Amino acid sequence: MASRSTYDEEAVVERLHHQDTAREAFGEVISHYSSSLYWQIRRMVIDHDDANDVLQNTFLKAWTSIDNFRGDAKLSTWLFKIAINESITFINKKKAQNNISLDDDDSFLVNTLESDRWFDGDEAQIKLQQAIATLPEKQRLVFNMRYYDDMKYEDMSQILGTSTGALKASYHHAIKKIETFFEEHD
Amino acid sequence: MKQEESEILKQIGKDPGFKIPENYFDDFNARMMDLLPEVEITEVDNKPSLWVTVRPYIYMAAMFAGVWCMMKVFTHFNQNISAEQRVSEVATGIYIDNNADEFIMSGGASDYDIMSYEDSVLMDANETQD
Repeated sequence: MASRSTYDEEAVVERLHHQDTAREAFGEVISHYSSSLYWQIRRMVIDHDDANDVLQNTFLKAWTSIDNFRGDAKLSTWLFKIAINESITFINKKKAQNNISLDDDDSFLVNTLESDRWFDGDEAQIKLQQAIATLPEKQRLVFNMRYYDDMKYEDMSQILGTSTGALKASYHHAIKKIETFFEEHD
Repeated sequence: MKQEESEILKQIGKDPGFKIPENYFDDFNARMMDLLPEVEITEVDNKPSLWVTVRPYIYMAAMFAGVWCMMKVFTHFNQNISAEQRVSEVATGIYIDNNADEFIMSGGASDYDIMSYEDSVLMDANETQD
């Protein structure tokens, strides 16, 4: 992406706070973060069309509340927080539509994965997604961020508002649960 | 902390098997820009106000004024105490002129001189009390 090489976050944040430059600057933010936010959302909601809707809502929410972003935290942290909240809100709405209790896990999201035209994984990959979907929300987030994105615990801590020690423990428990899932579904 | 390893995860790898339409992100970025509504941005004035500029100097001046006042009060009370102490010492006959004291101590005065000196000190004290 051409804009990636010239992306200067400090300058972009500065331009976001001026009426005449904000829109253009936000365009650069979209170009820079759409991919990383999409994959974070996609791993939560699984379906491509759903991920597309949530990503759209994430940027709309960020744009309409841009005045609330004062640069105290990193822009990426702020955007990831919005994306995660939007993903969780979306999953809860979908649960309500499907008469699924909010306390139940998110494994219903993986049920249509096999027939999804935007998925070409094998059985093992489907099983891994099923295992991840059975994890509690926070463990799921931590596992996805760490395993797929190699995100630092310090960055995760900023986004999720949890200590690094607790995040390490969450990741450890998530792996154990995934291994147990594979043993039970062998 | 040692990176957690899992044989199962190692075998599966990090590709989740998700795909996206061709040019998805380019299309999304363009579409997203069209969807953004007009918003009113509250301009942040980065130029510091006059108060912010002069504040450190005012704080410093106030600090020096405070120190000066404390020293003034301390000196004032110290002078009062010294004057009162001196009056009190003279009144009770404790006060002895340092030069006279040294002269007496060095043995430069006779018994008569010493007695005359002490009488004069007592007389001074009595006059002060009156």
